[in-house]
Amino acid sequence: MRIAKITATTVTTAALALGLAACGGAEAPAEPSAAASGPKYSGKELTFWRLGDSNPAAQKYTDELVAAFEQQTGAKVKVEWIPWPQVNDKFTAAAAGGTGPDVTEIGNDQVPLWQSQEALAPITDIVAAGDQAEIPKNLLGLETIDGETYAVPWGGGSRAVLYRADWFKDLKIEIPKTWDELVAAAKKIQEKKGKDVDGFAFNGGSDANHLLGSLAWTGGGEYAVKEGDKWVGKLTDPGFKTGFEQYTALVTDGLSSKSRLSQNTTEIRTRFANNKVGMYLTASWDLPGIDEDSKGKLKGDKLAFFPLPAKDGGEAQSFLGGNDIAVWGTAKEMDAAKDFVKLASGKEWGVKYATDGGLLPVYPEALAKLSEDPAQAPFAAAFAKAKAFPADPNWTEANETKAVLQNAARQVIEGKATVDEALGKANTELENILNQS
Amino acid sequence: MTDTSTLTRGGGNPSPSGRRRPGRPAKASGLPVWSIPYLLLVPGLLVIGALLLYPMVQVAIIAFQKVGLPQIRPVNTKPAEWVGVENFTQIFGNEIFWNALRNTVVFAVLAVSLTLVVGTAVGVLLNKLGKKMSTLVIVGIMFAWAVPPVAQGIIWKWLFDAEAGIINWALNLLPDWLSTLVFGRADWTGEPWLNDAWSIYMVLIITVVWASFPFIAVSVLAGLKGIPAELYEAARVDGASAWLTFRKITFPLLRPVFAVLTVLSIIWDFKVFSQLYVLMGGPSNREAYNLSMYSYAEAFRSPPKMGSGAAIALVLTVILLVVTAVYVRQLVKQEDMS
Repeated sequence: MRIAKITATTVTTAALALGLAACGGAEAPAEPSAAASGPKYSGKELTFWRLGDSNPAAQKYTDELVAAFEQQTGAKVKVEWIPWPQVNDKFTAAAAGGTGPDVTEIGNDQVPLWQSQEALAPITDIVAAGDQAEIPKNLLGLETIDGETYAVPWGGGSRAVLYRADWFKDLKIEIPKTWDELVAAAKKIQEKKGKDVDGFAFNGGSDANHLLGSLAWTGGGEYAVKEGDKWVGKLTDPGFKTGFEQYTALVTDGLSSKSRLSQNTTEIRTRFANNKVGMYLTASWDLPGIDEDSKGKLKGDKLAFFPLPAKDGGEAQSFLGGNDIAVWGTAKEMDAAKDFVKLASGKEWGVKYATDGGLLPVYPEALAKLSEDPAQAPFAAAFAKAKAFPADPNWTEANETKAVLQNAARQVIEGKATVDEALGKANTELENILNQS
Repeated sequence: MTDTSTLTRGGGNPSPSGRRRPGRPAKASGLPVWSIPYLLLVPGLLVIGALLLYPMVQVAIIAFQKVGLPQIRPVNTKPAEWVGVENFTQIFGNEIFWNALRNTVVFAVLAVSLTLVVGTAVGVLLNKLGKKMSTLVIVGIMFAWAVPPVAQGIIWKWLFDAEAGIINWALNLLPDWLSTLVFGRADWTGEPWLNDAWSIYMVLIITVVWASFPFIAVSVLAGLKGIPAELYEAARVDGASAWLTFRKITFPLLRPVFAVLTVLSIIWDFKVFSQLYVLMGGPSNREAYNLSMYSYAEAFRSPPKMGSGAAIALVLTVILLVVTAVYVRQLVKQEDMS
């Protein structure tokens, strides 16, 4: 026993020394350190949470990534898929029960919340070195809190309008260049395809602010601005109001049915796959799901994207969405988890994650290459000037739990309040939520 | 639920058995006779204490603390911070709370009255029916009672669905003049029943009454079987109407049964959760929250604020206790007078 222990210690020390020597000596640290850590993790198992539906493309990427990690380090990786609408509940349960994963994918706007709940481990050293050092610092805004970074950007997502290209062709509709054209196109679709079809689907669910935000930001509005150490709500500014009116008009003008005021993107996607939606705001990660839900009928040239048009033409502002990868705060295999994140978010697997999953790569050269692709150009263009929600841990409460703006929209749509009343109340509530400690 | 029958029937049981005991000698175990009932109560008290009292005390404590994930996770737990009545001032200052309170109370009043009225009516009907028919109806309505709450929600959610629901389809089948006369409109296509707070609660009342009247009906039937037939014969001889017979004979004699049924219904209907959760698809429309839903949303949706969730639960519990206490007092007074 004793001897075995001593041997083990010696071997480990030697391995560490070798690793250090390699780091100091060579200019390419990724390869040798991965090799050196190889035998260290054999027999260990990591749990990795991936978010969304396990569509074939995402499944294939994950399998390959996991295989590569297993081959390099000998550690097994168990993958679990969590649908987006359940992410916060699942994280809550994991943080409360202490049974979280080792590594998880996470929405970039969720990072401040889960950092504040101490559910994520700081991984500043990962983004400071290697491939990850090339990720532009402006993409780390939501991930960096008090000087520590808690997640690595994995893929960026801006949204555009997904539409039924086959219907547009049948009905001889041109791709809308202004908001009014979009409204006219939606009405024409409803006229020809049935009253129960949403011309342009209203999103009032958990991710409603992706649609409302795009409209409001384009109008020149903001949700809230930090002045000193306090958030000041800006919902009553004329810019925001313009976007908000556009948003509620989707229902009051009848482009989207009043019976689905709380549907989120996932529910809209299902209806889209069942020929009940003409257009909605989303990103290409919805395509595999639509293919599956429609039993292979909706794919290829039957659907396409165009950038959400601004009121007077031009492109609307998009939400700076994106998925990150992070190490769970109570990871059992902390070192292995960090190495996994390092590998997954590195240039090879990071860019592959984005391109395979219909997202935008966070590495500048790969992004530049993507802008040349006509199919991806709308997203790349939108990504360049995308905006984010208030970077505050309490944003999720306003965004999803209290659904402040969804509720304001409901009040207006149901005629219980004027736009000014609803936004005035929402503004106070938003300030209260963001400023609570 | 099964408690009720033992409660109503068990009222007279302890005293006869108690009367027999004092004459007997001490048991072989050597324990004094007086201690045996207490000893037998211990296991039950332990279970209740562990599963009911302890959590209740915890909820009361948490209601005065700030408790989030860092305070409850098993590894590197942080101590909870005492915040006094802050949780309460916060929820009382929030419009959602007052909405939820209104919804809870109005719903409970309507659902309890409807359940009792429909249940009693069906119970009286069952008593009038012949043996075979009555068994058939009992078995039929018991199916509704046996449906689990989530399934109840799903059944009625489908029936009231805006596009594929059978209710809108049936309303559209009505002749236009009739529909316009009764509802003021002829076209029901895509009517979103599960959208506005008032219509969600209408559907919820239907759901809850549908599932809970069978229990009332069967309990009332059991009570009716115990009323001597002579009383009704006498009433018939005197030429009393059916309504008068019910008011003067049936209702007074069944008062204890109604008392228990009312208290139980109040308790059940005040804390309806699963059906509402299914009907509105989770805590989405905050105007349609009831107190349970609001408590759940505060305590378990992110970021979890278990303190304010517990505070709401405490308020709900206090309201329930007060309502039940006042009602039971009222009953006892009436008993004394008569």
